[in-house]
Amino acid sequence: MTAPSASLLSADLSLSLYKTLYMTRRCEETIVRIYPEDNMKTPMHMSMGQEAVSVGVCRAIGGNGDVIASYRSHATYLAQTEDHGSFFGELHGRTNGTADGKSGSMHLADIPKGMLGSTGIVSAGIPVAMGAAFANKQKSPGRVAAAFFGDGATDEGVFWETLNASCAMKLPMMFVCEDNDLAVHTRKSERQGFNSLVEVVRKYKCDVYEDDTNDVESIYALTRKAIEKMISSGQPAFLNIKTYRYLEPCGTMQDSDAPYRRAEEDAYWKGRDCVALQRKRLLASGLAEKDLLKVEGDINAAIEKSVAAAKAAPHPGADLLSYGVFYETP
Amino acid sequence: MTNQSLQKALSYREALNKAMHDAMAASDKVLLFGQGVNDHKGIFGTTSGLADKFGAQRLIEVPLAEEGMTGICIGAALNGAYPINIHIRADFVLLAMNQIINLAAKYKYMFGGLFDIPMMIRLVIGRSWGQGAQHSQSLQSLFAHIPGLTVIMPASSGAIVDSYAHAVQKHRGTVISFEHRLMYDLTFERDHEPEVLGKTPFSQRRVRAGTDVTIVSTSIMSLEARRAADWLADRGISCDVIDLHCVSHIDHDVIMKSVGRTGRLLVADTSWLPYGVSAEICRIVCQNDPGALKAPVVSLGMAPAPCPTAKALEDIYYPNLTTLTDSIATLVRGKNHGIDLPHERSMADVYKRFKGPF
Ligand SMILES: Cc1ncc(C[n+]2csc(CCOP(=O)(O)OP(=O)(O)O)c2C)c(N)n1
Repeated sequence: MTAPSASLLSADLSLSLYKTLYMTRRCEETIVRIYPEDNMKTPMHMSMGQEAVSVGVCRAIGGNGDVIASYRSHATYLAQTEDHGSFFGELHGRTNGTADGKSGSMHLADIPKGMLGSTGIVSAGIPVAMGAAFANKQKSPGRVAAAFFGDGATDEGVFWETLNASCAMKLPMMFVCEDNDLAVHTRKSERQGFNSLVEVVRKYKCDVYEDDTNDVESIYALTRKAIEKMISSGQPAFLNIKTYRYLEPCGTMQDSDAPYRRAEEDAYWKGRDCVALQRKRLLASGLAEKDLLKVEGDINAAIEKSVAAAKAAPHPGADLLSYGVFYETP
Repeated sequence: MTNQSLQKALSYREALNKAMHDAMAASDKVLLFGQGVNDHKGIFGTTSGLADKFGAQRLIEVPLAEEGMTGICIGAALNGAYPINIHIRADFVLLAMNQIINLAAKYKYMFGGLFDIPMMIRLVIGRSWGQGAQHSQSLQSLFAHIPGLTVIMPASSGAIVDSYAHAVQKHRGTVISFEHRLMYDLTFERDHEPEVLGKTPFSQRRVRAGTDVTIVSTSIMSLEARRAADWLADRGISCDVIDLHCVSHIDHDVIMKSVGRTGRLLVADTSWLPYGVSAEICRIVCQNDPGALKAPVVSLGMAPAPCPTAKALEDIYYPNLTTLTDSIATLVRGKNHGIDLPHERSMADVYKRFKGPF
């Protein structure tokens, strides 16, 4: 296990970041445990391993911004909203979910909390986030918008169209590339005709930031820097954050022995697991383990409550089937 | 026309693998393009093993670039290749509509007939439980609307093997094939293959002959129609079930002859009703002989909404065997038909358990 550097953040913030990281991880561990019960009839694209990106970035946005996630939406949704009650409700297809159970795992949203949605179509949310940045620039100066997407999404034309347009229009738009090197089972090197996305993006009129630490505090600090610069310069920011997906591309199972996996890579990233790293840092900073266990125990209990509430919540009734279809009668 | 190429019972998935294999074996011009064609899952097993046999250079692992890759396939087709472009969800091809509709469908016509665009686009309808709004759509009528495209929806292993061979070896235009994921694990027996009602493997098929009501169906709804018809046959209602198969090119005679005999029509499609297959079948009947009908047409398809994820809603979003059987019985005997109905609320559950043979 990599040793974490000493924290440069306040003790409160360090602990708070850990709580969100731990909560996100624990929610997904809970999914892994109870998915076989077959009560959550939705495909799962798990964030596990990648949580530091969403937790660090969303905390840096700190409520003063809007985000759009990809279908790998769990960590982003949970980091932005801290609401695992609606989360488990939605995954269970119940009326206490984010969309009465109609959206499942791929389309999580909470507009008041600046979670503007997540989409099952790779790259489709990127221009939508730019639209949010456009509106923010007009009506709420200082408020930013961020699109989370994988390295696979950068293959798509709409990524480049949006990058170009936001640079040309000077929007407070943050591109957050969760670079796990993989699109399903295919590596960047097989899909991309250049060596470094970051080098290409540098040619655009935006500020480019990189991180490969898997350390939530570094990601937080980097994003704070990016946001401050974005607000002062009026240029978009591009964050390329290296990370690693622990589970299969879609589903809750391990696939460490699948041919596309590399044992060294797996060991390298699991040796710098973002949750363990932050936990270690807190202990090294003098926090007593029993206090930390108490924090974790409270989170575990709250999550169990959310799961129980989801299972007890009503199923949506037939009246909800056509609710929200635009436009029912013009 | 009989089914020569299909020698034994095959699952839909095996038939797809065989069809890809046969196409690549028949001509080295056949190239497979798609995200995942060459990974260890091999597009649900339908491209597995082909790289070993034919070389990885013929199974092209592509970037996530649906529109671009479609244009690349068109260019390759112009220049002598037969590209097969595969999307694991039909929903993803929406990014490529420009190339398909503005180019592939029109290239021959716009240039005075100079060019053919022989290629195939395989699209999987992702329906299963929980696939939701963006991973389950049945988009056949979007494409069938466009002159210049041929749209098929194979509903058996034989339909796949024969139609894909025909597409690759004989047809000179772009074929869009919708494969239904719920059928992938079903086994189809050679002896039970529907009768082909025309000259080519793209022609309509008769799943079952009957006299009381015509059921025109697409894709997996043809299997459902067959099951409903079997149920009703034991209860005195005789259904004439036509599997449309090629939804873009419909032989009016096939529909009119059947409706002329039965006087009643039910259309069971996998998609939404407005502007869709049901609307088209009604157009055909109304234009040819509106007097052929003794009763108003009934059409079944998805509810007019995006697909909900919650199982409770998904189960009422799609028609099921109970609603289909009830609709047929009501059409033939009236509301108080008194026929007992099969109790089956979720098609996805049934097809996950039930593997055939059909
Ligand atoms: C337009 C589109 N094409 C293909 C897919 C199928 N698909 C789902 S996830 C995925 C890989 C995306 O990789 P990346 O953007 O790196 O995100 P990651 O899964 O690694 O988080 C693909 C190809 C899709 N959902 N949408």
